[in-house]
Amino acid sequence: MAELSLQHIDKIYDNNVQAVFDFNMDVKDGELIVLVGPSGCGKSTTLRMVAGLEDISAGSLLLDGRDITRTPAKDRDMAMVFQNYALYGHMTVYENMAFSMTLRKEKPNVIHKRVLAAAEILGLESQLNKKPAQLSGGQRQRVAMGRAIVRTPKVFLFDEPLSNLDAKLRGATRREILLLHKRLQATMLYVTHDQTEALTLADRIVCMSMGHVQQIGTPLELYDTPANLFVAGFIGLPPMNFFDVTFEDGKLKGKGFEVALSDEEKYTLSDYNRKQIRLGVRPEDIAEGDSIAVKVFSNENLGMNTLVHGHMGDGLRVSAKLRGWTSYRAGDVMKVDFHKKHFFDLETTNAIRKGV
Amino acid sequence: MSEDRIVSLDRMRYVKNKASANLALLAIVFDVLYFVGLYRTNDEYYYTFMMGISVIYNLIFMLMAFLSSEGVKNYKKGFSWLLFALGVGQIVRIFILPMQAHEAIGKLGNTTYMVMDDRQFAFSIACLVLSAVCCFVSGIINIDKKNRLDKHVASLKGSAA
Repeated sequence: MAELSLQHIDKIYDNNVQAVFDFNMDVKDGELIVLVGPSGCGKSTTLRMVAGLEDISAGSLLLDGRDITRTPAKDRDMAMVFQNYALYGHMTVYENMAFSMTLRKEKPNVIHKRVLAAAEILGLESQLNKKPAQLSGGQRQRVAMGRAIVRTPKVFLFDEPLSNLDAKLRGATRREILLLHKRLQATMLYVTHDQTEALTLADRIVCMSMGHVQQIGTPLELYDTPANLFVAGFIGLPPMNFFDVTFEDGKLKGKGFEVALSDEEKYTLSDYNRKQIRLGVRPEDIAEGDSIAVKVFSNENLGMNTLVHGHMGDGLRVSAKLRGWTSYRAGDVMKVDFHKKHFFDLETTNAIRKGV
Repeated sequence: MSEDRIVSLDRMRYVKNKASANLALLAIVFDVLYFVGLYRTNDEYYYTFMMGISVIYNLIFMLMAFLSSEGVKNYKKGFSWLLFALGVGQIVRIFILPMQAHEAIGKLGNTTYMVMDDRQFAFSIACLVLSAVCCFVSGIINIDKKNRLDKHVASLKGSAA
């Protein structure tokens, strides 16, 4: 049982730079929360505050209802896995995994059982007598995870654990973390700047920018119903296409193009008649059709899909992810339709939704 | 065998033989105490050919004992035999230099003096004996642990097969 509650948490450094603004979140027992955002958005700072490695300037942090805002890191019953593994090079894998429990003066036989159990979970049984230098990056990261597991902490904290791994290994280790979470059913906070990791791992995602929480929700919520322009642009690969348009006569009119709207979309925009808004369309929501002409300048075949880049209207850049294999050449004109559309208020940058 | 004993045995697959290694290092400490005491007896140096040999032997002993310490740390049986040899060497040494120095009478002008008094002689013997005991015990522990570990690993292989 480990429920974590972050209440109105601020982080202000000694030089008066504020890194985190009013962070609020309740993490349920066994939940895997991913903090995602670009570099410098405050996600790692938030994690370090939870771990006790950074002081909390304002607000409170509760673990199972107990205030641990000022509790030292060693007494918080949390284990952290770092990007650079932080393993002791002169110790074997076994000794690295056993180290924290040795410091806590646990009985050697108890330590042994826990280390072997963790090694079995992570498939490290044959590596226990090796030194970290003899292991691959993925194996080292598993050792770092093993070191966290043997402590059986209440909360696991991961600070960009896959960033040092190559793409293939990253995918494999990501799946291992997911399996680990399912097996341990532990509360986990995971920081990454990689949206693929966020979307595949998270029960809920916290999207951050400039120290502010932009949106908290399930991966599907963030992908399907982004709260604002930042989330819409950050989540999704390739990123969402944005166009400044005016809602007029039941249509969206942009520079050199028009988009017809459904009745439901017209209703959503009913308060924005003759006003300029920003239209967002994901590349995968653009399909070959007959309404908008796009002058192609690049065609990238990805196997299952093709990424077509082009210009529409008065030179607005657009990317479309089309199913299957297409062979457009630079200069070809492709006709497309926009399927799912996202609307954003230009002043507030918030998503426009009826009843929101 | 109780579960606790089995776990302790299994731990040896991953934990180094620190007891043996530390005893081998302790043998060096006693050797150091011995020669530090020996080379400054009655505030006078006892210059003989044997003293030079003793210095060289001490260097060799310390090197070998240190290597053995590292060896037995990893349950290498061969180093146990080296430790036994070093232990025998320490016992044999009692009958060479300390005894010679104890029996020798130094001469300074018209006065004579004992090169090594009884107290110093006893201290030297104690240091060499303790050093030898450390070598023997370290070697014995290592052989015992290695045998038990081999048996355990064989039983694990047997059960896996």
